[in-house]
Amino acid sequence: MSGTGSADERKVSSLRELSPAIEPPRDLWPQIEARINAERRSAPAAQPRPARARAVPPRWLAAAAVMASVAVGVWIGRSLLPAPGPGVQSPGSARASFAAAPTALDVAYVSDPRYQRDRAALMKSLQTRLAALPPAARAKVMASLAAIQRAKQDLQSALGKDPGNALLQELLVNTYQDEMRVLTDIHAASDAGRGI
Amino acid sequence: MGFSRLAAAMTVLFASAAACASGDKTFERQVPAEAHGVVDISNVNGTVVVSGWDRPEVSVRAELSEGVERVDVSTDHGRTTVKVVQPHSGHGGEADLHVQIPKDSELTVSAVSADVATAGVTGVQRLNTVSGDITAELGGSDLELKSVSGNVKLKGHGQPARLHVSTVSGDVHLEHGAGELEAGTVSGTLVVSLDSARSVRARSTSGDVHFEGKLARGADFDATSVSGDLNVRASADAGYAYEVSTFSGDISNCFNATPSEHGHLPGHTLQGTRGDGAGHLRLKTMSGDVQLCDRK
Repeated sequence: MSGTGSADERKVSSLRELSPAIEPPRDLWPQIEARINAERRSAPAAQPRPARARAVPPRWLAAAAVMASVAVGVWIGRSLLPAPGPGVQSPGSARASFAAAPTALDVAYVSDPRYQRDRAALMKSLQTRLAALPPAARAKVMASLAAIQRAKQDLQSALGKDPGNALLQELLVNTYQDEMRVLTDIHAASDAGRGI
Repeated sequence: MGFSRLAAAMTVLFASAAACASGDKTFERQVPAEAHGVVDISNVNGTVVVSGWDRPEVSVRAELSEGVERVDVSTDHGRTTVKVVQPHSGHGGEADLHVQIPKDSELTVSAVSADVATAGVTGVQRLNTVSGDITAELGGSDLELKSVSGNVKLKGHGQPARLHVSTVSGDVHLEHGAGELEAGTVSGTLVVSLDSARSVRARSTSGDVHFEGKLARGADFDATSVSGDLNVRASADAGYAYEVSTFSGDISNCFNATPSEHGHLPGHTLQGTRGDGAGHLRLKTMSGDVQLCDRK
């Protein structure tokens, strides 16, 4: 659209000064149409393209692979892994158990590596974070973490009796999510004391 | 324009610092503020009491105990910040803050052990404490509230809003709320009364959940707990389809429906429809008991 003549280079002060229609210097359509028709005629003779004609972006392939591996992990957890036995933890060891390594069932349900990494990092700093809380709050939070731990054990024990129970599976996943929320909240709460 | 605002902010900052450095036990400051501006308040120990008013200014009055370094009040580009500064070393003191803000302000309060109370604020509220209790009046705008061990008391006026409340061990009491509620706790108790609910999501691990209220047409209600009890009294003019399931808890209801068992497997379910069945209500527990009634 940039003009080349000196008349086009003058300043335009109003839209009304512009031409309502600008004809192209020459009609290109006949050449384009002829080229399209030529390609159509030559298409049947061309080599058949492989089935993967449409390029799939690599990131979609990666996402699909991740989803497939997660699905396989969940399926393994629901179908193949042996049911865990009843909880054997004594009440006195509840505190130490917060940092315990995930069980096979845990891994099966929460097989996302990023989740595992984030949870491990939060667990590592848990004792320090708890120490930063006011004593009364610390005691309550400890009790809540113990409640989560008990809930996980109870749900796993119940799933041992009824592995395909969708209700228990949903509640167990909820409990994992709640545990992460609490760990994140404790992390943020101990930071709040420093930041304020 | 920018320079004059910066100069004003610096003046207020230095003045407030100087006032506290002189050893005063009380602190007072007023700064101009926008009617729909943002107000951020932070305090570690003591109290934070915030009230909304019609004036375009923020007024701060504080009573400071030994150990509080100073109170900073600054304003810049519609954002007013009130911050109680504690010394870096040693135990800080307590500050009791009374802050008046334009009622339509967007309010954020961050506290550790300080109790927080708000009233007359009609803008969005974000309230966070670690162990401090929170008491807030709902003003028809959204509320986001988070507490670790502090208890929460909320009172609304039936104006619909989005309410997001979470605690770890703190109890939550909500009266005369409306709109959408998402509430979660690990071991705290949720006691909720909604005048009109479009959507309710309540979740606990071991805490009990008590709901009483009216569901709007097509409302969605979802409450789950592992070992806590669910006690729901939900009425709805257009009715709802309900689905109650528990693994080892008991199910009871006020409309004489009979729960069904899962053959040889543990667990009970109760399904059915009340009225036109326009809404959906789901209640799930592992070992907690469930009570459902379609009357408030």
